[in-house]
Amino acid sequence: MLRLSWLIGGAQGTGVDTAANLFGAAVARAGYYIFGSREYFSNIKGRHSYFTVIVSDLPQHSIDTTVDILATFDAETVFQHFDDVTGYMIYDKAQGNIGVDKIRSIEGSIAKSQAKILEDNGYGITVADVVKYLSGKGVKTIPIDYGTIMGNIINELKMNPFVAERARNMICVGASLALMGFDEEHIEAAIKQIFAKKPEFLKLNTLAVEAGIKSAQNAYSIKELKVTKSRVQLDGNTLSALGKIYGGLRFQSYYPITPASDESTYIEANQLLQTKNNEKQGVVVIQTEDELAAINAAVGATLTGSRAATATSGPGFSLMNEGISWAGMNEAPVLITYYMRGAPATGLPTRSGQSDLKLALNAGHGEFARIVIASGDHTEIFSDAALALNLAEIAQTPAIHIIEKTLANAYSIIDQDSLQKSIRIERGKIVYPEAPEHYKRFAKSEDGISPRAFLGHAQMYYTGDEHDEYGHISEDSSNRTWIYEKRIKKLEQVDKYLKDDQKANIVGDAETVLLTWGSPKGAIIDAIEELKKDNIQIEMVQVRVFSPYPKELVINSLKGKKRIIAVENNFNAQGAEVLTEQTGIMPTNYILKWNGRPMTRDEIVNSVKSILKDNTKRVILNGGK
Amino acid sequence: MEVNEEACFNDWCPGCGDFGILRGVESALSEMKLDFTDAVLVSGIGCSGKLPHFVAGPMSGVHTLHGRALAFAMGIKLANPSLKVIVDAGDGDTYGIGVGHFVSAGRRNVSMTLIVHDNRVYGLTKGQAAPTMPLGEKTKSLPKPNINGPINPIALAVSSGYTYVARSFAYDTNLTKTLIKEAVAHKGMALIDILQPCPTYNDINTNEWYKERIYRLEDDPEVHNESETLAKMTQAIKNAYIGEDKIPIGVFYKNELVPTYEDRLKENISNYLTNYPAMQKIEEKGGSVTDITNLLEARKVI
Ligand SMILES: Cc1ncc(C[n+]2csc(CCOP(=O)(O)OP(=O)(O)O)c2C)c(N)n1
Ligand code: SF4
Ligand SMILES: [Mg+2]
Repeated sequence: MLRLSWLIGGAQGTGVDTAANLFGAAVARAGYYIFGSREYFSNIKGRHSYFTVIVSDLPQHSIDTTVDILATFDAETVFQHFDDVTGYMIYDKAQGNIGVDKIRSIEGSIAKSQAKILEDNGYGITVADVVKYLSGKGVKTIPIDYGTIMGNIINELKMNPFVAERARNMICVGASLALMGFDEEHIEAAIKQIFAKKPEFLKLNTLAVEAGIKSAQNAYSIKELKVTKSRVQLDGNTLSALGKIYGGLRFQSYYPITPASDESTYIEANQLLQTKNNEKQGVVVIQTEDELAAINAAVGATLTGSRAATATSGPGFSLMNEGISWAGMNEAPVLITYYMRGAPATGLPTRSGQSDLKLALNAGHGEFARIVIASGDHTEIFSDAALALNLAEIAQTPAIHIIEKTLANAYSIIDQDSLQKSIRIERGKIVYPEAPEHYKRFAKSEDGISPRAFLGHAQMYYTGDEHDEYGHISEDSSNRTWIYEKRIKKLEQVDKYLKDDQKANIVGDAETVLLTWGSPKGAIIDAIEELKKDNIQIEMVQVRVFSPYPKELVINSLKGKKRIIAVENNFNAQGAEVLTEQTGIMPTNYILKWNGRPMTRDEIVNSVKSILKDNTKRVILNGGK
Repeated sequence: MEVNEEACFNDWCPGCGDFGILRGVESALSEMKLDFTDAVLVSGIGCSGKLPHFVAGPMSGVHTLHGRALAFAMGIKLANPSLKVIVDAGDGDTYGIGVGHFVSAGRRNVSMTLIVHDNRVYGLTKGQAAPTMPLGEKTKSLPKPNINGPINPIALAVSSGYTYVARSFAYDTNLTKTLIKEAVAHKGMALIDILQPCPTYNDINTNEWYKERIYRLEDDPEVHNESETLAKMTQAIKNAYIGEDKIPIGVFYKNELVPTYEDRLKENISNYLTNYPAMQKIEEKGGSVTDITNLLEARKVI
């Protein structure tokens, strides 16, 4: 199996994203899978952002801390990442004299630590020194004369230099592809697809890529692969949007926040839907004045029968608490897509984290049933989004779908037919179009779920106050006793409905179990393969549904295991805390990381080895820039 | 024994102005022949918020959260624009904790009717000063004179973009009824601020106090063509600031030339009004009717 790690970086606003996307599209056309992970500052222009892309003949789900090819066109990227390169570094020949002390956008502490690496090895602190340092380590460097190349292109196209500058990164992409040995037709086709409607950019980018290709020699000789099935390139935000649309979402309200809003803007941009029965349908997307309005408008929409949702991250979710509580009280099937990022407060707005699992499980005052699902990879995001809409309606209660920033902003190449396979639409107990006379919205029932009619179709009452079967305010103590239980008990139906593999992913069978949830899944899956090479067998238990908690399944899968290692992107191992609360089982060891960056495959491999060797109780990771 | 479905027990204080508003709402609904099939009452939290539960007749009610009635109402209306959505909320609800939604509702101009029970106090929490209470006023419920200045609901509504702005008096049920009927028929966001005595906590702005001061506005409030907009807004705001000695009631401002939010959505989704979210059939024999092939094709790389 090929697994090659390529990293491109640059100042925010200089098209690093576009470059990485084009690179990915080109590699995909040559028959390879990619997993690309994006890191950026909470900043619009100027700060360092980068994309790490893993290229492989098999689907990959994680990145590595080390980088085979470091593709740079500015000095800061060189300084930020030079200590992680193992193969090649592409850099700007004209910037050799720039010292790390001259880069204003780099954080002082990082400048210092990177300079120290160079100085400890007896070098100065310029790009030229980095090149020498790398040669000493056996890393090859490829100088590119970006300035001259850009000058020639600008002359040839008679273009405004400021506009043309955006293509500088494409020289870097071209050089990278040549270095790997990819055919130039793939990148040209990818550029054509993206810039089809903008001929001048098509020309500009093509020239830049061609110049890049001429700047590097083939070193990896990666062979083109035959592909028989269609593949798509999708990020987590888009996959959630697609899952929701496919799952029948017709109303979304949101307030802008990273990394959630891209989902809503995607839905709005694509709000006119195609349907199998050729009926014209559309999704209403509302940008509200705040998250209070976002959640409550979505809840209101559910009362009419529309599938409705909102999407937010930590700060917005905190504001939504009261609305979630009302939805629980009124058995309203609203979906909240919770993009988890670095917290508390605004925290690390553009970085990832898993610190809010317990908030999701306890949000909103009072006791009531809720659905909490956490996706572990890109295909799960799609199916979980649709599943969450089903579960919300089946249990008539709010559903929270957790997607971490690291997956939201990462992209994968996915086999197109793997997405829609077996997703059904299940709306639970609905009376439509008409309800019986003397309709009771909260009628008593065996399973705690009452037939749901929609506003406009029956007389009904909703209230946040305790209420009777009609939905009228009631403080009667015995009414309180049964209806309170009803709102909790009905969750059992969800547990019955879910299949085991929807509740948890159990991979392998070994005496050492990595117990996780969410994005660490990717690094673990990839690490399991790597560890097999050293004859280390690992099992993974990834909890996908936290409410209702799949007690029995988890207990059975952890029974008799020698080691249970909790792997999470937070301090307290919140997923493991829930495990203990629900089952009494405690992990034996921990692999934890809360620096805002995703877990990498090599981090998991090394941590597992260290735990098996020394029985390290808590391995704390700090990889990533 | 079945519980009484018509309405639940009305527990407002005897003599509360809310009874007058309730009567106005009920007569408007019955004269417009509206029932649960074509309308819904949405309310906030406070004494006022209980109104939907007290309305006689076949109507549905959604009693929401303190300050958030407009947000819920917007979700209901935009998911099912065939419903007439009437919101009842307190002055604390609307101009205090929910004032962000109040202003934003004007910017959107969704066709809804907002009825504010303006009693200048937080009734249900025992009479604290509401945002409409004048500076220095000391009702019997306050330990010290009010230290905050008041909001002017009419002026704020006009400047926020409300396209129907009126004021009524709780015991003038006829006027209240007429204004509600107009507001419900109005294309756009309508506010009816209703001066509502709270005999329990507000011993200053009483029924008698109001009766000595209120009079009917005579000015034509309507914007007949766009060039009149500024003049009519100015007139409305001037009337809104007439003061405490003489208090005008009636319609302050009306403008149907501004596109409603539903019209604006229709620009993007042409059949929005005939196939709105609540009526779209999303499933057939358990499968999704939505075809995302095109969306996936756009992201196809090989
Ligand atoms: C978030 C929140 N904060 C506080 C309250 C407590 N509360 C209940 S009613 C109310 C005030 C009601 O005043 P108003 O909106 O003017 O309605 P009125 O009772 O006067 O009709 C308050 C503050 C609440 N229900 N929710
Ligand atoms: S407290 Fe005031 S507003 Fe509330 S019911 Fe009593 S009189 Fe009416
Ligand atoms: Mg009040």
